[in-house]
Amino acid sequence: MSTAASLHQRRKRKNGVMMALCVIAAGIGLAWLALILGALLYKGLSGVSLSVFTEMTPPPGDAGGLLNAIYGSIVMTIIGIIVGTPIGVLAGTYMAEYGRFSRLTMVVRFINDILLSAPSIIVGLFVYELMVRPMGHFSAIAGAVALSILVIPVVVRTTEDMLNLVPNALREAGTAIGAPRWVVIRSVAYRAALSGIVTGILLAIARISGETAPLLFTALNNQFWSSNLNAPMASLPVTIFQFALSPYEEWQQLAWTGALIITLTVLGLSIFARSLTGRREDR
Amino acid sequence: MKPMLSTDLNVADVVVEKAKIEVKNLNFYYGQSKALKDINLSLPERSVTAFIGPSGCGKSTLLRVLNRIYELYPKQTAEGQVLLDGKNILDRSQDLNLLRTKIGMVFQKPTPFPMSIYENIAFGVRLYEKISKAEMDNRVEQALKRAALWNEVKDKLNASGQSLSGGQQQRLCIARTVAVKPEVILLDEPASALDPLSTAKIEELIDELQADYTIVIVTHNMQQAARVSRQTAFMYLGELVEFDRTEKIFTSPREKRTQDYITGRFG
Repeated sequence: MSTAASLHQRRKRKNGVMMALCVIAAGIGLAWLALILGALLYKGLSGVSLSVFTEMTPPPGDAGGLLNAIYGSIVMTIIGIIVGTPIGVLAGTYMAEYGRFSRLTMVVRFINDILLSAPSIIVGLFVYELMVRPMGHFSAIAGAVALSILVIPVVVRTTEDMLNLVPNALREAGTAIGAPRWVVIRSVAYRAALSGIVTGILLAIARISGETAPLLFTALNNQFWSSNLNAPMASLPVTIFQFALSPYEEWQQLAWTGALIITLTVLGLSIFARSLTGRREDR
Repeated sequence: MKPMLSTDLNVADVVVEKAKIEVKNLNFYYGQSKALKDINLSLPERSVTAFIGPSGCGKSTLLRVLNRIYELYPKQTAEGQVLLDGKNILDRSQDLNLLRTKIGMVFQKPTPFPMSIYENIAFGVRLYEKISKAEMDNRVEQALKRAALWNEVKDKLNASGQSLSGGQQQRLCIARTVAVKPEVILLDEPASALDPLSTAKIEELIDELQADYTIVIVTHNMQQAARVSRQTAFMYLGELVEFDRTEKIFTSPREKRTQDYITGRFG
């Protein structure tokens, strides 16, 4: 009896120690996040005003806003998504539906996983060689292409995963009623996997809206308003990069505010994506 | 009685006035392994035929050959002949989608599509027919009535098909199958995931449907086979051991293996 009691005590002590270690580890992880968010809010919030959204990036020493950078980010993100999403969804569809048992799918999946974790600066350099050098100048379109290359692997992966989660019984049922394969995919499989695929696209938006490196070599930056896709275009991440490194106080303040805007946008998208997946699991 | 098939002594006594489906010398392979061995049988029109046998005996495989749904997967091959109204459906020239509109199938687990109750039924109809909204409404209503589901869902046709109970979902799947006006309905253990009350409803339904359709049911439940079918095929290890009138199979089977199985000595 006494041995059993002492064993129990020892186990309880061990449990306590392990529990404490886990809590500390989780705390450390969360602390950084809280510190970053806190610093962003503290430094960035004071700079948020209407002029941030209505005025252009200022010359050094002047007051101004981030309108051209916000506009550029939105335009290049949208083009990146419009170009990357169909390719990603179609590739994912091939892998999960048509080529589920083929060798090609395994090869593509492997390469896609590499692409998924490839440093984004390499994508930037690649597009620099591919578009910027032949064209002779930096351009928004090259920036958008670089972003779309980052979108594709994310969307391929989530589309394939989500379609693989659709039970085969559902495909058999669609087939058994006489529906051709493409109808089964469009009307049954896509519908069943819709929220998951949309989540993947939202996560891709979140990922590219903060990317700096691929834009540095492609869209560069622009101090002025420009809606010309064939010319350099400002973007929030690059503007933050430039302004944060500058010695001018006004620029540094705008960099903080820009960082806050990006962070809140990404946070919002992630929460929205979460809520979509959550609803799917409830069903 | 005149033997229908002369190839096998044990497959003799079913008198088929008109065979809807005739299976001749059918072999089936999953990759290298042979799952069906030289199957021969005739399924009479407008009548219920049950396939029984222990797990892995090939009864579901045989069912899945009849609408060629196995072709969704690689490395599954059938050789021999399956004649539907005298025409070999294993023929390469057979249009698979058209075949499946003639031979409907209901699965073990209810599989409502991720759409409304109404759309679940309209989906299949729309694939091959262009009809007006009013006609479609009528078609959906008729199909749901046929599947004894109309009264339970008539006020919520726009609700998701997946919001129904398991038994209702299965009847929705039957309604969906009936709506495209098939000639044959294949049922793959349609009640094995359902409670006794829902099972009774499905069985009642099968009984009514045989007036218009040729029905083939795979079941683990021997009482169910005895209740719903007019003829029964007992399969074991990929072979058709015995095929006869259901009452004969369950009262005086010819084969010892059949006797052992139906009396619960194995399986």
